Amino acid sequence: MTYRIVIDQSLCSGFGSCAELAPEIFELEGGVARLRVGSSDDEAVLDAADSCPMGAISVQLVEAA
Amino acid sequence: MTHDPTFWLLARSAGFTAYVLLTLSVLAGLVVKSRPFRSLKPAAVVDTHRTFAMLGLGALALHGTALVLDQTVRMPVWALVVPFTSSYRPVATAIGVLTAELMILVYASFSMRKRIGPKNWRRLHWATYAIFAGATVHGLTSGTDTTRPWAFALYLGAVASVAAATAYRALARPASNRPVPKGATS
Repeated sequence: MTYRIVIDQSLCSGFGSCAELAPEIFELEGGVARLRVGSSDDEAVLDAADSCPMGAISVQLVEAA
Repeated sequence: MTHDPTFWLLARSAGFTAYVLLTLSVLAGLVVKSRPFRSLKPAAVVDTHRTFAMLGLGALALHGTALVLDQTVRMPVWALVVPFTSSYRPVATAIGVLTAELMILVYASFSMRKRIGPKNWRRLHWATYAIFAGATVHGLTSGTDTTRPWAFALYLGAVASVAAATAYRALARPASNRPVPKGATS
């Protein structure tokens, strides 16, 4: 399964739990989270989105073609 | 024999300063997610929240140090750490000691959030309500300025503003938690 990830950077508080739980996908730059990739099949993205205290990360399941 | 009142004045003013900074930190923390002022970026509000907390701990350290150095009330060093060992208003002082220890724990938890995990970090942050209540009770019961109108106004203002921000936090809809459908404007 592939997940498409979107970060609402205007909501990000720089808590950093996403980058700790899924460092291959999220990184902190200037105190705000950014994506290293646009989509991923790593389930860690779900934990990362869930851990965000601001709810700034949304994950959508991409339908298999 | 009269003694130098410097440390006594310092202890009282540092106590009030710590209380005001704690209140400001709590207020900043409460508006991070409820966002009553949409133009403020959450990351900047979190910075403000942490700065007030750090300054509050600084004022707290000054409050304790001044109480040990002052001679108006006898306050040995261990009475700052171990609750109920102060001979001056033991219960009121113990509430202050326990509140201070919780404050240090919650502050330190930010650096330990990797080890304890974001969920436990959030759970621990609930202790902030106990900290704010403890600090208010400690100030009202151990302070010698409580009966003065300005002190009463300060406590009332702090409690009312934290209560209002808590209510807004509880009632306001989360800023935006759902993915926006393609083509829609938020």
